[in-house]
Amino acid sequence: MSEYANKDVLVTTDWVKERLSDPKVKLVEVDVDTKAYDAGHVPGAVGFNWETQLQDQVARDVISKAEFEKLAGEAGITRDDTVVLYGDNNNWFAAYAFWIFKLYGHQDVRLMNGGRNKWLNEDDKELTVEKTSIKPTTYKASDPDWSLRARVTDVLKIVEQKSANLVDVRSPDEFSGKVIAPPGMTETAQRGGHIPGAKSVPWATAVQQDGTFKSADELRKIYLEQQGVDPSKETVAYCRIGERSSHTWFVLKYLLGIEKVKNYDGSWTEYGSMVGVPIEK
Amino acid sequence: MDRDKRVYDDVFQLLPSVENPTPIVRLNKTLGVPGFDLYAKLEWMNPFGSVKDRAASFMIRDLEARGEIRKKADDAGGRAMVEPTSGNTGLSLAVMASAMGYGVRAVVPDKVPLSKKALLKMAGAELDVINDSLCPAPGLGEGSIGIAKSHAKAQRDKYVMPNQYENEQNVRAHMETTGPEIWKQTEGRITHFFASLGTAGTITGCGRYLKQQNPKIKVYVVVPNEGHDVPGLRTPSELATTNLFDRSVVDEIVEVDGELAFRTALELIRQEGLLAGPSSGLIHEGARRILQRDAASVQGGVGVSIFCDDAFKYVNSFLKHVPELAEGTEA
Repeated sequence: MSEYANKDVLVTTDWVKERLSDPKVKLVEVDVDTKAYDAGHVPGAVGFNWETQLQDQVARDVISKAEFEKLAGEAGITRDDTVVLYGDNNNWFAAYAFWIFKLYGHQDVRLMNGGRNKWLNEDDKELTVEKTSIKPTTYKASDPDWSLRARVTDVLKIVEQKSANLVDVRSPDEFSGKVIAPPGMTETAQRGGHIPGAKSVPWATAVQQDGTFKSADELRKIYLEQQGVDPSKETVAYCRIGERSSHTWFVLKYLLGIEKVKNYDGSWTEYGSMVGVPIEK
Repeated sequence: MDRDKRVYDDVFQLLPSVENPTPIVRLNKTLGVPGFDLYAKLEWMNPFGSVKDRAASFMIRDLEARGEIRKKADDAGGRAMVEPTSGNTGLSLAVMASAMGYGVRAVVPDKVPLSKKALLKMAGAELDVINDSLCPAPGLGEGSIGIAKSHAKAQRDKYVMPNQYENEQNVRAHMETTGPEIWKQTEGRITHFFASLGTAGTITGCGRYLKQQNPKIKVYVVVPNEGHDVPGLRTPSELATTNLFDRSVVDEIVEVDGELAFRTALELIRQEGLLAGPSSGLIHEGARRILQRDAASVQGGVGVSIFCDDAFKYVNSFLKHVPELAEGTEA
């Protein structure tokens, strides 16, 4: 059985437990349900709110470099720290935060495999409501690495030239255009369907029942063999608003080691609302 | 207490048992299979309004017996129950706990109807409303269960989680009450049993008990389709959230379009005079399909369907799924 291309980016819950008092390991919880952190977190972890802290509050964009520096600094993180992200729903938003950390050049970022739920369900792991005491730092971020991000202009070029793999990680009903967004969602698009040429691989395909990632062999089989993602080409993952796709971006880039993978965070809410672009159903 | 005169010393004496079963009522107009008697077991006749009274009372009594909960007035400070619930279990737990002096914190998904949330508060529960439906995360349903577990784990001194999804008391309640009640009420003549799936306590407990009495009894579980909107019910793919489902006692899983839950409930209300809620509608639709399909071989048989709760809590759901109900309701 082969290993993940970058095996260091995933750590186990046991690995985290052993390093709870390591000052160079900083734990950050990022959840879909922003109340989860307050209900109980891994001792020493800080909590980021994806709605208010990881996206620009005015423009539709990721947070700026200055905002990221403020966020990381207030969380007591330094450039050479090991940042371990974890969260609910198979590390969905933790993976989005991972993408943001990488955009701003943080070297050592990892995900706790299985996320919050795995920790929660292991009897030897403690959970606390105690406030984490933080010594703020002055964090200096790199300029954003836009090679990790696809813009709509990149995507339109790909559609025209068929030059890259497109991976649609939304549900089958969103992919087929049966629904534009999952029921009850307020962020939606004008049209249903998918970007021409995209392959449908729902994001949670990458994880097992317990929330940990599938093995390298299984992932390779799913993405490369069954779906025909060509690793020699550039690959772009997208979903509805760019969060689910950062999870698949993580899988393709770090676990499978595909060199050029971008997250299209504009995703369907942008593409499916544009005038005059081709759509497949 | 005098059951014949229906005089009780307190509400807990109304809890169901072989001596004090919930009624079963024959369905005379909506089955269409002559020669087969199908009965509805009216679980809304339980003291707190639903089938969940059974599991809730067993879980509370068990926690109490093991010293796992403390009353609010206890010198050591209260230790409350925290439970993820779409409504009925929380309501049963909250009413009983409040009357007994215990606290309850109910963790409820945001999509649960306002009236159910308000009922929980009316019963004295502390409410924790969470948003766990941002995008579908297949097979997890981690949200409310995860939050309740978190409270119980992070604040052990203040909370304990009965956990209806894993608590064997949930199954035991049905093995010791629902199953024996049905056996006695049908005088051992039951041939077919129908229930739906939430925590799987009903199907596993009744299925086990009934199969022990007579292995020939057919046990059916009726489930809605994927993406359904029937409150409290699960599809087979959502079963990962419960540990209690014993597939070995189930003869067949019947899938019914969730929309029919509402339409069939209206048939039960208008033709049988039974104020059935949507899950009862779904079960009845599944039961009648099976019995109509097997009409020739079920002759002389006796069936029992579990009607979990009544229609009152679901008026808004009915309005959403049966739009014509709203017609003519305004001057």
